[in-house]
Amino acid sequence: MSAVPNIAVAQPFDPMQYRPDFPVLARRIHGKPLIYFDSANTAQKPTVVVDAVARYYREYTANVARAVHTLGEEATAAYEAVRDKLARFINAPRDEVVFTSGTTNAINLVAYSFALPRLRPGDEILITAMEHHANIVPWQLVCERTGAKIKVAPINDKGELIVERFMELLTPSVKLAGVVHVSNVLGTLNPVRDLAKACRARGIPLLVDGSQAAPHIPIDVQAIGCDFYAFTGHKLFGPTGTGALWARREWLQAMPPFFGGGEMIKTVSFEKTTFADPPHKFEAGTPNIAGFIGLGAAVDYIESIGRERIAGYERELLGYATERLKSVQGLRLFGEAREKAAVLSFLIDGIHAHDLATLLDHEGVAVRSGHHCAHPLMQFFGVPATARASLAFYNTRDEVDEFVTAIGRVRKLLQ
Amino acid sequence: MTAADLYTQAVLDHYRSPRNFGELPGYTHAAEGHNPLCGDRLNIQLRASGGQVSAMRFRGEACAIATATASMLSELAVGRDLHALADLAERFGQLVAGDLEQDPSLMELNAMRELAYHPVRRKCALLAFATLSAALGGASAASTEGIVE
Repeated sequence: MSAVPNIAVAQPFDPMQYRPDFPVLARRIHGKPLIYFDSANTAQKPTVVVDAVARYYREYTANVARAVHTLGEEATAAYEAVRDKLARFINAPRDEVVFTSGTTNAINLVAYSFALPRLRPGDEILITAMEHHANIVPWQLVCERTGAKIKVAPINDKGELIVERFMELLTPSVKLAGVVHVSNVLGTLNPVRDLAKACRARGIPLLVDGSQAAPHIPIDVQAIGCDFYAFTGHKLFGPTGTGALWARREWLQAMPPFFGGGEMIKTVSFEKTTFADPPHKFEAGTPNIAGFIGLGAAVDYIESIGRERIAGYERELLGYATERLKSVQGLRLFGEAREKAAVLSFLIDGIHAHDLATLLDHEGVAVRSGHHCAHPLMQFFGVPATARASLAFYNTRDEVDEFVTAIGRVRKLLQ
Repeated sequence: MTAADLYTQAVLDHYRSPRNFGELPGYTHAAEGHNPLCGDRLNIQLRASGGQVSAMRFRGEACAIATATASMLSELAVGRDLHALADLAERFGQLVAGDLEQDPSLMELNAMRELAYHPVRRKCALLAFATLSAALGGASAASTEGIVE
């Protein structure tokens, strides 16, 4: 531990300090300054990340774990160092961190290697009504093959998980539970520690989808107490095609491989093949080396700013944005959980989400519109689609003001 | 290219006051069109005989582009036969893809030419044609997922 005092904590968070690290934010869209409110879709990447990727390709391109020459050693060292960074990032031992191409890959890994061999007809998988398709469809595929069923824990009108119902649904037939940490549509922050505790008490493994949590709040998988934690690099200011699955060693050791090929083996013969230990057992083929090196740079960058500081600023910005949006006549907000991240899904009376988003784009504002890979959630709220503004630490109050003004202009045009 | 180039007065007018909006008593053909990506839904009812459309009405919850297109199409479709409509559909597809500049036979639909610059919104405009085509073909449902651009 460093003896140097953390001076940064004393200073108020100023996004203008970090915006220059993201040159894309200086772009103009349709003649207006870009206001990027779509970080939940993918985050912008700081220059250090882009540079790290480029440096690998320019200076030390080589395959990892497959060559003893200098370039191979350099690439391997840089790549495996990222595993240590990710492990520290979530407070886990490094051999429990499996590199994946993202959250979707991570959840599918658990579905095929953990759930598929275990589920029997009549068994159940419990998920919630606010899940992203990535934490619904893999389970559906597995249930189809095993005769197991999916059970859904309901949410309330504010977009909060009805915890009592979740607990009630944790019956002996449930063999696995899956919960999103932070909802990509509602911003709801779920009480995963409490849910994990309840699951552990009943011997039910819990998978947490941390895609929208990892970029915004500190993650400690030991403290959470779940069995699997999945997150993705491209929402964490890193390159696309990166991510990780954290899983307890006991599970990783018991799980058969997901993909087979090079790297995940110890020895291969046509008669018998033995597999590498976890985590490499689940990392077949040449990985997205440059991507992970970039992700390592992203994690370093975020840690240098401080996740607590980021979370604090975003909480403030969310409060301001919510207050300003609520003042817009005819605007309906979706997801007003007591604890939530800076994600604001909304609709304006009589205006379709796609029209909103297209017209906002003409004002320089980038939001997502559609079902946000959460059809069941849209159905719950009785809307075909919503517009969604998702904020990150590089967004400002001025941008929120401009966003609200732009909404006013769009309303005038369409209503 | 500004917002006004896509959301022209004509488009906004057809969106706010869609023509032929509602149910069609005594309809002979009907289909429900759906865009799963954004949730647009259009329900088209027709009176047609001998392959010729004599009336068209539509209902549904859809974005301005989809609604305006359906409204404009509903005025164009009347009095046209299968052949003429298929022709129109093909030309409209070319228009929104940017392969056609303007076409007099498309009348007000020419307003959708701007979609050449908004590829992601094209399916919104194509939904009405897909649904009409399904109705005339005897199918009861259409989806933009079946449209090949």
